[in-house]
Amino acid sequence: MTRFWTRDFLIALGLCVLLLAAPLVTRNESVFFLLSLIVIWSIFALAFDFCFGRGGILSFGHAAFFALGAYGYTWATMDLGLGFGAGLAMAILCGAVFAVIVGLVGQRVTGLYFALLTLMLAQLLAIIMVTRLRRFTGGDDGIAGVPRPMFGGIDFFETVNFFWLIAAILLAVVVTMHVLNRSPLGQAIAGLKQNEERARQIGFNTARLRLAVLSISGAYSGLAGALLGALLMYVSPQLLSWKVSGDVLIMALLGGTGTLAGPILGVTLFELLKEVLSSYTEYWYGILGITFILCTIFLPKGVVSLLLGRDKSR
Amino acid sequence: MAIIVVGLSIGMLIFLLAAGLTLIFGMLQVINFAHGALYMLGAYLAYSVAMLTGSFWLTLVIVPLMLLVLGLVIERVTLRPIYDADHVYQVLITFGVVLVIDEVVRFFWGLSGRQFSPAAFLVGSIDIFGTEVSRYRVFVIVVGAIVMTALLLGIEKSRIGLTVKACSVNPDMAAALGIRVERVRMMVFAAGAGLAGFAGAIAGPMLPIQLQMGNAILLDCFTVIIIGGLGNIRGAIVAAFVVGMSRAVGQQWAAEWVDVFTYSLLVLVLLLKPEGLFSKKERTA
Amino acid sequence: MSFSISRLARQALLAAGLVGACTAAHAQDTFRIAGLVPLSGAFGILGENMRRGATIAIEERGGEVLGVPIEVVWDDTETSTQVAIQKATKAMARGVDMIFGEASSTTTLAIMKLAEQRKVPHIVTLSADDRITGADKSRYTFRTSNNVAMEVAALLAFAKNQNLEKMYIVMADYSVGRDLAKILETELPKNGIEVVGTEFVPIGTSDYAIILNKALESGADGLSLVVVGADVATSLKQGADVGLGEKMTVMGLMLMDETQGMVVGERGSVGINSTLRYHHTQDSDRNRDFVAAFVEKYGELPNQYAGEAYDGMSWWLDTVDATGVFDKEAWIDAFEGSVRDSSVEGLKVMRACDHQAEQVALFGTAVPDPSGELPIVMEIAESFEAEELFAPCE
Repeated sequence: MTRFWTRDFLIALGLCVLLLAAPLVTRNESVFFLLSLIVIWSIFALAFDFCFGRGGILSFGHAAFFALGAYGYTWATMDLGLGFGAGLAMAILCGAVFAVIVGLVGQRVTGLYFALLTLMLAQLLAIIMVTRLRRFTGGDDGIAGVPRPMFGGIDFFETVNFFWLIAAILLAVVVTMHVLNRSPLGQAIAGLKQNEERARQIGFNTARLRLAVLSISGAYSGLAGALLGALLMYVSPQLLSWKVSGDVLIMALLGGTGTLAGPILGVTLFELLKEVLSSYTEYWYGILGITFILCTIFLPKGVVSLLLGRDKSR
Repeated sequence: MAIIVVGLSIGMLIFLLAAGLTLIFGMLQVINFAHGALYMLGAYLAYSVAMLTGSFWLTLVIVPLMLLVLGLVIERVTLRPIYDADHVYQVLITFGVVLVIDEVVRFFWGLSGRQFSPAAFLVGSIDIFGTEVSRYRVFVIVVGAIVMTALLLGIEKSRIGLTVKACSVNPDMAAALGIRVERVRMMVFAAGAGLAGFAGAIAGPMLPIQLQMGNAILLDCFTVIIIGGLGNIRGAIVAAFVVGMSRAVGQQWAAEWVDVFTYSLLVLVLLLKPEGLFSKKERTA
Repeated sequence: MSFSISRLARQALLAAGLVGACTAAHAQDTFRIAGLVPLSGAFGILGENMRRGATIAIEERGGEVLGVPIEVVWDDTETSTQVAIQKATKAMARGVDMIFGEASSTTTLAIMKLAEQRKVPHIVTLSADDRITGADKSRYTFRTSNNVAMEVAALLAFAKNQNLEKMYIVMADYSVGRDLAKILETELPKNGIEVVGTEFVPIGTSDYAIILNKALESGADGLSLVVVGADVATSLKQGADVGLGEKMTVMGLMLMDETQGMVVGERGSVGINSTLRYHHTQDSDRNRDFVAAFVEKYGELPNQYAGEAYDGMSWWLDTVDATGVFDKEAWIDAFEGSVRDSSVEGLKVMRACDHQAEQVALFGTAVPDPSGELPIVMEIAESFEAEELFAPCE
């Protein structure tokens, strides 16, 4: 077992602290909004990477867990009148349950076929939610007025305050994931990724392990979705679009998979690039594309490899 | 009768795209997300060629060639350098290519859609067994059938097809036998791109030429290559017709349910026979 | 990372420095507009033209209102409500004096909620959903253009004037479409037109051939084709192959105009009837000036998205200017009940009760372009006065 304070973990923590410290430097609300997006997508990218980078399970359908989390939160807070905490719990539950369903449905399917299966299940869910479940999802219109938390006399409709809260949640996600990765379960999952056959022969129930990976990833994704719903105060089935699944994959890979710092870095880079480029040029879209291509070719292990260097222990 | 013609024409168009997609997968083990973008670029180029030369027939020759060359460049510049990396990275890079192609089209053609007409005798409708069907759709079916036959013969009977097969089944062995696998990969990718360009030119007079036309059809193509089996060209043929005909029949009887039905079918195929309904091959992944 | 944050912080400080520390001070320096329109995706062409129209409205007044320069930031909403909400929230965090947009009704409804929370005036020039000035109306949102109800009224009147007997309905399958189909199914028979069939089609359907064939074989002489986005071009282009426009009287909401004609082509467009929000041939002094300015700047005639955007923006800015004070609430009070007799479309009245502009509705028919430059041009077939279309405010 390697040491607890790995370089990767420290960098991830450092990134969280940097984010948390941002309100000390600026009071500009639109900066907080951007940072809030970074925080939320970081949680989502970490969730995705737990599945892909740690568990070796590729998915093109993570948008489903994300969107169900957002809707779970919305239903809990708006229809059932529950509080913020209960709303998040509901989101986590929705994400995890659907992930388990996907896992059970695709029990015999592996690799690229499983990835395609997740994509198709997400598409199916999207179509059903838009056309058949209008009453619950708001159809194409979505649902506006999703509440932000209310407690401790703090006004979370101030983006700054909401930002503090979700940045703290990101910190908690990073720490729990690190602890999880080092736990026996985490080690077993790492074994699953390296060699599923060997893991089975050692005596692991690999089918159950895969379910565990998926449900944990789904739970974190649901959490991220709920926070996005609260930030925007709006949810819609557009969250289920395959573009969302594609975006999170791109961000995680851009940053570097199998690490904690990578997904956060990837998201930060993606969002900042988009923000800065789109304010300078109309052609930011294409430039973003070229950046992806260059990064994939020259930094195949992600941007994080610049910071981690040859440190294999991470 | 109209249902058959419409169904077949949808199927043929999807086949032209799916064939390239599935060939590329068989050879490179990469799902090319840029295939839809190449098809869209093909349609826009066809519009410009038609405007410049005034000839519909020339578009069918020039555009595939242009896309073929572009395919060579894309393979060489983006995919080749990460040949040895995990396939996920190659998928990622095709995402990047989509963004760049979209931007190029927006830069040169702007946001407004375009249209051009086919050769005069393909305009309008024709009477087949008492129902009127679009002449152009009949043309699409005929051309599609020719390309399909040529592809099948090329892959299964010719020397080139044999080489491609050797390279995709066992690249190391092929290399040991003196085949330049890298070059074959590049040619296959370029051929796929050329087919996408051809599909774009064919689609031009039938569908609106718009920026998002590539995304719309890409999911249909995924459907076809999954049902047909990844990398399986014969499977793709059958699957393209299944999809085309089910679209047409579905719209006749229950238009609202077509999408739900299609995706449910896909999920079932992936569950019960993930290697595709028409493959006898072992699972590759 | 630290570099990016510090850079961001610097940008923020710079912005803060330019704008001034307190809002009251900034308010008098510039008049800040957030233009939230799709500039990419399926509605990109709509947003681009809205931007052009609004730009003419700003430039014709020397880029100033209330004696201060106007500063517009155009944000691309990427034809996604999700993205639009993000951009809108950010714009409001930046502190803007008004919001202009969006194109899609869904997105506009969501932006309205934000505008109401932040008490920012919001001008809508395209989204037509009745809820915007109906069930969901808000003090801060005004629509200077048509709503669906008046377009449907125009469609019904047009169908009646065409002496049609049987109507087939092809409707996009979304909430508004479902409601519209119900209205048509009840109202058409009252005008002596029998509805022989209704078909709901999922948005994004790539092939309409079968559905149009069903319409042709139904024996109907009229077709109400209400589809959205790329489906308009898909359906009309495929209808052309079987001579849809010659065999049936095809009509719809925002179904055809010069821009659409470019995508569909002459064959599929000629003879198609559609509501028109605005047309560059409308006979008014302001319209002639606007069209001239537009042609000079962009080298083409303004389409309906540009025309409506210009009209709404110039009306609003004139009203703001006339108040003489930098006070959002005062602008809103002034705009309520504002009467614009010199709009590009003649008289427009902003109803105080629901913030919907009362105005004429047009119905146009596509005919071949005599100059041969465009595939088709629209000819105004009928014009309906506001009194025929609106029930008075209660």
